[in-house]
Amino acid sequence: MHWAKDAAEAGRVIAKIADHHGVKHVVKSKSMVTEEIHLNDTLERRGIRVVETDLGEYIIQLAQEPPSHITAPVVHKRAEDISELFQRELGMHPTTDAVEMCAVARTALRGEFLDADMGISGCNFAIAETGTMCIVTNEGNGRLVTSMPRVYVAVAGIEKVVRAVDDAVLLWQAATRSATGQEATVYFSMSSGPRREGHADGPEVMHVVLLDNGRSRILERGYADVLLCIRCGACLNGCPVYREIGGHAYGPTAYSGPIGAVITPLLADDMAKARELPYASSLCGACRDVCPVKIDLPRLLLDLRCELAEAGGQPAFESGMAPLLERATLKAYAEISRGSRLYRGVSKVVGALSRLAAGGKGKDLNSLPPPLNAWTRTRAMPSLAVKSFRKRWSERERRTGKGDAE
Amino acid sequence: MTDRLAAREEILQRLRRVLSAGGPMFRGEPPAASAVESRMTVADVRDDSQSLADQFAASLEQALGSCELVESREAVADVVVRRIVAWAAELEAPTVDGTTVDVLSWAPGELPVPELEDRMRERDIRLFVPADLHEDQSRARAAASVIGLTSVNAAFASTGSVALVPGPGRSRAASLLPLRHMILVPMSRIYPTVEDWLRSLRQADRLRDLLQRSAQIVFVTGPSKSADIELILALGVHGPKVVHAVVFDDTNGG
Repeated sequence: MHWAKDAAEAGRVIAKIADHHGVKHVVKSKSMVTEEIHLNDTLERRGIRVVETDLGEYIIQLAQEPPSHITAPVVHKRAEDISELFQRELGMHPTTDAVEMCAVARTALRGEFLDADMGISGCNFAIAETGTMCIVTNEGNGRLVTSMPRVYVAVAGIEKVVRAVDDAVLLWQAATRSATGQEATVYFSMSSGPRREGHADGPEVMHVVLLDNGRSRILERGYADVLLCIRCGACLNGCPVYREIGGHAYGPTAYSGPIGAVITPLLADDMAKARELPYASSLCGACRDVCPVKIDLPRLLLDLRCELAEAGGQPAFESGMAPLLERATLKAYAEISRGSRLYRGVSKVVGALSRLAAGGKGKDLNSLPPPLNAWTRTRAMPSLAVKSFRKRWSERERRTGKGDAE
Repeated sequence: MTDRLAAREEILQRLRRVLSAGGPMFRGEPPAASAVESRMTVADVRDDSQSLADQFAASLEQALGSCELVESREAVADVVVRRIVAWAAELEAPTVDGTTVDVLSWAPGELPVPELEDRMRERDIRLFVPADLHEDQSRARAAASVIGLTSVNAAFASTGSVALVPGPGRSRAASLLPLRHMILVPMSRIYPTVEDWLRSLRQADRLRDLLQRSAQIVFVTGPSKSADIELILALGVHGPKVVHAVVFDDTNGG
């Protein structure tokens, strides 16, 4: 049993275990936490061969890329890309058949499992009442990693600890349904230590590394909710932003999507390094709706934005300390929107101006005067239509005999 | 050692400080506290063993496994041997000495079907029960086996899952390394849900003991699966590609 304050300490602890047992070859099952602490780099620098064994992780390791999804790390790759990679790296005969490629990977990885002297996994749930580490997989690599090598190391964030077996089973089912919609994952392994007297297989030594790496600080800063996450990936699948931009757009982090936009800045030693992430959301709330543990991600994103604005010298609007121009603009907008006559007049003038600036109706504005030029630097703004929406609406209402809209 | 304690103390101190500050920790409404013993919900299923067996078969098939129900206990050995011989032919299983095929298995005493070993031997099938898989020779032999044979500690009707607890004569490898896995399931070990099994263990005060005493408990639901390549389902990525359960009635003395 080991405790690690941060990534560096966890790396040192695991490297020491590897040295102690003369480990040269490690097999790993998919684990976001070891991705978070860049464990592969640490071990490889010491001349240890590290092989990822989840099919998706194996593919991106061969391609030397980071994962793009919490549960489907290689969702961004086409079968053709994977085929090319396998032909180059594994000498596979040309095929783009997914089932055939899986068989090729099975053979290659089986050799690694039988040969490796250490297995490393993350941990889905750590059961306090019995000292048990649970991992959830569909492929079976989790079972092989925890059963075949002589040494087994499980790494768990401190938030993975649950009180009882019952809690772990409940959360396992919640994660399964939200991740893939299965009734049960193919494998759920609960390991409580090395093999016992008379057992044919299982590790001879088992180590557990409990990792803080910013988690207790998250609790301290009032973001405890985010520690409830069970990494099912449902918020990624539900997020219109993630679906459009993909996981790699969230930068060099283990966690992408809405949950990543909250966790990554919180785990960073300096939040400003990931300052764009809390803004990578339209706050539509789809992530909150699908979350099986009911994390209010939009709320947390807003809180982070607030913190970032204050840290960047921009006090929150509600505090009455916002920049003068911003306040004046919003005040004026509120005033204009309130009176229908004023709104109509102003929109007429703005519409005419926009068409004039664009050079005719139906044309786009490619540059606006400051401070609006920041917006048009990467986008075109369409000029306003001659006939406003309000006008169209009232005409339509009159036509269909539903009375006046105003 | 001091390093280890230092990290532990530092982490725990910070947690204690936050937790002792009081106030709500989470944003939402806190759920009502509940005792661990009452947390498991139990499915509303009829408790007779035949309908549980039927439901287990249907659930396992849904998880892309297969299942056959055998009427009498006496017929089980026949069914199992016949199927294993057919599998060996289909897979062109490697032979040890030109004729004999290895089946990576739990010890005969751990299989709830009497005389199985003798019946196998008549058909040139040998049960290979490894003693130590960290030993090179038996590791290689286990790795070459294409058929695995085990029983179960418990089986669950709602999901088609089985619980496997390793022990002496009960290797993990038998349910894990071969391409095909045959599971012998006596009806008396079928529970409606995982929760029912865990609850019955807890009520008998055996749950903690079982978890702590066994190095591992694993739930297996159908064959190994992956959809990592373009979300196309592939079976047998690391574990078995075929999982076949033979369910038989052991409740009427048979």
